[in-house]
Amino acid sequence: MTSGPNAIECRGVSVEYGDVKALIDVSVGFAPRQIHAVVGQNGAGKTTFARVAAGIVQPVRGTLAIGGREVPVGSVGAARAAGIELVHQSFALPPSFTVAEAMEFGAASGRGVFTRGELQRRWRRHLESLGVTVSPRERIRDLPVETQQAVEIARALVTDAKVLILDEPTAVLSPSGIDNLFARLRVMQANGVTILLILHKIREVLSVAETVTVLRGGRLIEGPIPTAETDAGHLASAIIGSGLESLSTIDREALVGADDEPEHEATTPAMAAERSVPVLELRGVSTRADTEGPALRDISLAVGRGEIVGVAGVEGNGQRTLVRAVADLADLARGAIVLNGDDVTRRPLVERRASGLRVIPFERNTEGLSLSSPLWENWSARTLLLGGLLNLINPARLRRDCDDSLKTWDVRFSSSSQLAGSLSGGNAQKVILAREIDGTATLIIAAQPTRGLDVGATAFVWRALREAKARGCGILLISSDLDELFDISDRVVVMLSGRISGEFRPPYHLGEVGAAMTGAGR
Amino acid sequence: MEDAIVAILRSGTPLVYVTLAGVLAQRAGIWHLGLEGLMIIGACSAVLGVVQTGSLVVGLGIGIALCVLASALLWFVIEKLRANPIIAGLGLTGLGLGGTDLAVQAIYGSQASVNAPYGLPRLGPAFGAFGVLSVLVVLMPLVVFAVWVLVRRSRWGLQLTACGEHPFAARSVGVSPSRMRLYALCLGGVLCALGGAELSMGSLQIFAYGMTAGRGFMAFAAVIFGAANPLGATAAAFFFAIVQALGIRAQILFGDKVPHDLLLALPYIATVIGIWISGRLRGGAKAATSFGELRDY
Amino acid sequence: MIGPLTQVFRALVFVLIGLILCGIIFEFAGYSAWLMFQSIAEGAFLSARAWQNSLRWALPLFLTATGVVISFRCGFFNIGAQGQFYMGAIAATFVVDGLTGYPPALVIPLTFLAGIVGGAVWALWPGLLRVRSGTDEVITTLMGNFLAGLFLVYVTSGPLKDPSGTGQAASSRPVEAIYRIGAANSLSPAIIAICVLVGIGAWVLVNRTSFGVLSSLAGRNPIMVVWQGARLSRLGLAGFVLGGALAGLAGTIEVMGPIGRLSSGMLPTHGFTAILIALVANLSILATAFVSVFFGGLAAAGLYLPVLAGLPAAAIDIINAAIALFITARAWPKRLTNLFRSRRSAA
Repeated sequence: MTSGPNAIECRGVSVEYGDVKALIDVSVGFAPRQIHAVVGQNGAGKTTFARVAAGIVQPVRGTLAIGGREVPVGSVGAARAAGIELVHQSFALPPSFTVAEAMEFGAASGRGVFTRGELQRRWRRHLESLGVTVSPRERIRDLPVETQQAVEIARALVTDAKVLILDEPTAVLSPSGIDNLFARLRVMQANGVTILLILHKIREVLSVAETVTVLRGGRLIEGPIPTAETDAGHLASAIIGSGLESLSTIDREALVGADDEPEHEATTPAMAAERSVPVLELRGVSTRADTEGPALRDISLAVGRGEIVGVAGVEGNGQRTLVRAVADLADLARGAIVLNGDDVTRRPLVERRASGLRVIPFERNTEGLSLSSPLWENWSARTLLLGGLLNLINPARLRRDCDDSLKTWDVRFSSSSQLAGSLSGGNAQKVILAREIDGTATLIIAAQPTRGLDVGATAFVWRALREAKARGCGILLISSDLDELFDISDRVVVMLSGRISGEFRPPYHLGEVGAAMTGAGR
Repeated sequence: MEDAIVAILRSGTPLVYVTLAGVLAQRAGIWHLGLEGLMIIGACSAVLGVVQTGSLVVGLGIGIALCVLASALLWFVIEKLRANPIIAGLGLTGLGLGGTDLAVQAIYGSQASVNAPYGLPRLGPAFGAFGVLSVLVVLMPLVVFAVWVLVRRSRWGLQLTACGEHPFAARSVGVSPSRMRLYALCLGGVLCALGGAELSMGSLQIFAYGMTAGRGFMAFAAVIFGAANPLGATAAAFFFAIVQALGIRAQILFGDKVPHDLLLALPYIATVIGIWISGRLRGGAKAATSFGELRDY
Repeated sequence: MIGPLTQVFRALVFVLIGLILCGIIFEFAGYSAWLMFQSIAEGAFLSARAWQNSLRWALPLFLTATGVVISFRCGFFNIGAQGQFYMGAIAATFVVDGLTGYPPALVIPLTFLAGIVGGAVWALWPGLLRVRSGTDEVITTLMGNFLAGLFLVYVTSGPLKDPSGTGQAASSRPVEAIYRIGAANSLSPAIIAICVLVGIGAWVLVNRTSFGVLSSLAGRNPIMVVWQGARLSRLGLAGFVLGGALAGLAGTIEVMGPIGRLSSGMLPTHGFTAILIALVANLSILATAFVSVFFGGLAAAGLYLPVLAGLPAAAIDIINAAIALFITARAWPKRLTNLFRSRRSAA
């Protein structure tokens, strides 16, 4: 189809982080002027692969050739000089920089000293040529997520990039944002840029990429194979590594994306009656400006017993503030929060927790666990807080209890004294589940509980939530993964700019929910 | 009036040089509490250099070399041994204070201070009351401007800032934060040596044990007060100098009625209030230091 | 995971590296490093008299260091031990000076209370600024040290000045003998008893209470404990106040015991040394007790050197500083590690 040397070619690349082998002998080449996708589960080595190609990670073995010419590995300078640019999954621009400064600090040409006007003129032209509408004077931290990503891509193109690698670019975008991104990538491709997309949704792969490459457990499984010659089922089994038939439906849905109309268990009248006593009720809740997201504006929402309410929305539309408000971490301006029939608006989090509130926070490694503390301290924090600060404890017994609890939650660990940071993402999330989900829980706030987890751990979390629901817990599930929401929620509300912009019941329709997420429906 | 300006320039200039060193370090992501130590090494080397070799250039040269060396040591300890910058910086300060004390005692016995035969070149009588100002005072605005351009109007400065604010961003465009920190600290070492030399050789021509008297910490406070902006931090440094000058003036005016020591406290109180206000304005309940890494199992 | 033995080994190695650096500096300055270290050892540990002196300095250091351990464990970088020590000593002196003539059974407890409160208050305001406004405690406590130092100069040459004083440093009137809990520069059973009690109390607090676990979690990840419902401000303030109170107690003991009066510029490195002790002990209470003896020995040697060995006391400051430079190090240079690794794999 295309001639000439591969745009980028890796031979025998292996990467080790300590004892963990992140990539094992990967050899792969990508033809120029095409859109390629690299897929795999979390932990398959996709991001590591992207970083090796961009020179950020130094492989222990292997070579890298760009446009047919050998490039020293582990050198960002050499990779950039050869025309490779990487757009990171979580953005990598200093938040205090203006857009113009963010362009300049990675530029290679031009004078090293400038005036502010010069800088803005220079980069305004660059942004216009890429069709990014943003003022060069704006600060990165003030930009909405989608603009930030556009700026990040523009940053990657300040040099004469021949290969653009994007690591999970769709994770932060709304459905229409994803369409815009793909349109922009196709324009770049037409201009002669080779594009490498790290993705994990097969649906997106099939809709945008010309070839697909599958990584699993750090090894190259397949690829690049033309997308025209494969299908979702085949890819899914390549990614997971077993025949798709043996996968549970949950696993398959986690990977492929649920069908638009999944089956749902019928709601019995008895259950509906139970639900009439909500475990959580927000009545006209508004918050003051929050440091970590937009303020809530007049949110009214109820979660009944044994009900899973999903919260959808493009990231940064108030989902964080919603969780923070329920956890008494955001400043309420108006409205009331009612837990199990008690008005807890003025009660601190520790009392709310005492009456059954449990939170699985957004950021597992910062908000959920203290990575540099031993497991038993992490595990016992919740119960210790129920008593007084000067209560005497018996560390040996706490360690034993922690051991038992973590074992029943199937956590792989060697000792309750080991640091939480030594666990894998899935195991760390199970530690949080072990702490948060117990018999006295009545309302569980699960914020992005499966983000970054592999298929097995995702299914485990879902099962745990369903079991809690069966016991009568109300669950508020916040996720940016619509497939996940559609799959396990009894109801989905959509948040937009701190308001609830829509409420949906099954069967869900992707288009309608997407419209509510972006406000396109109005 | 002229006298007051001269007094402020004289007490402010050493502070400004050291403050700029702190700005560079802060931008690169290092809280520099070794400024005091570097400053006294600079002050001591200049005086001892002149006394021992009779050459001002050699004295300054030794001061700069020692300060750069000490900065490189601090960098090694922080970057390569991953030590806590604050404790390591305090250690460097202690080394500077103790080391200069030891050096003076080794050469002059238990003498409290060392006099230099002459100081830095001065403007001369042609400039009237300003004639007593040294060449480093005259150069100071140029140095401030140069550091401002370097930090705020150059690509190098953007990269330096990125190293402090978002090291991963710096690495992903091919800039090594570790190396940038080395440059920033060593350049700061040069500035500290100059600030120290101005302190001991600018007006007094004397070195006394502990003569920096907390100026390095005041400079650090100015860096924080001025949000690590070269101009803001310079302004903050001069603010401290003015408060100090006012304190001395008030003492002359009011004599014993206002206790001298409490007036000396004004800059420190101003620092606390300034940092409190700037923290409130930025609305950050986040502090820059974390102590978690100090203990591990 | 790093075992306790590795930690001790690492601390020893970094102390050793610091000492080697000191040796180089001594030689560079024209002193024999060997003679210097030998004299320090003589002044610190090589005689019964030296041991007694070392313990005399170690006990107050242990108290302040215990306070530092508690506040560091809470995650707050309270480097204001020096100022809190001064404020405790000043408050105690005001009380003991003002109540002269009353029975010791009344005066001594009130003096201790005043000293503890004085230290605690001087830690409270940086703590409040920190938990209420996010003002960085490193700067406020640092400034607090300078402010307390100036205040000490002021009170010793003003309100508390000893009119008959002739020494070069201004100081308060000596504390009356009936209120003293220890004689000049000697060990007193009362001080030992206080230290043992504080040590046990602190150990229980850190290792056997909810506060110990939660403050340690908060110190490592404050965000996580906030999401668990803890009031960080309460944990943090407790850390600040306990740290300040113990430093104030140490100040009181110096005034009521060995030193017997308040003098301007007294023990200017007490707080810094206490921080070093806490760090060398890796924030463990038990280890703090042992490390305090080592640094107490250095302090004793600091007095011994100029008087009996004719060497500058600055040597001790340099040793402390060099240890500070290295003690928080958490890694070996990569090249060195690689060297060791290749050796091990070759063997």
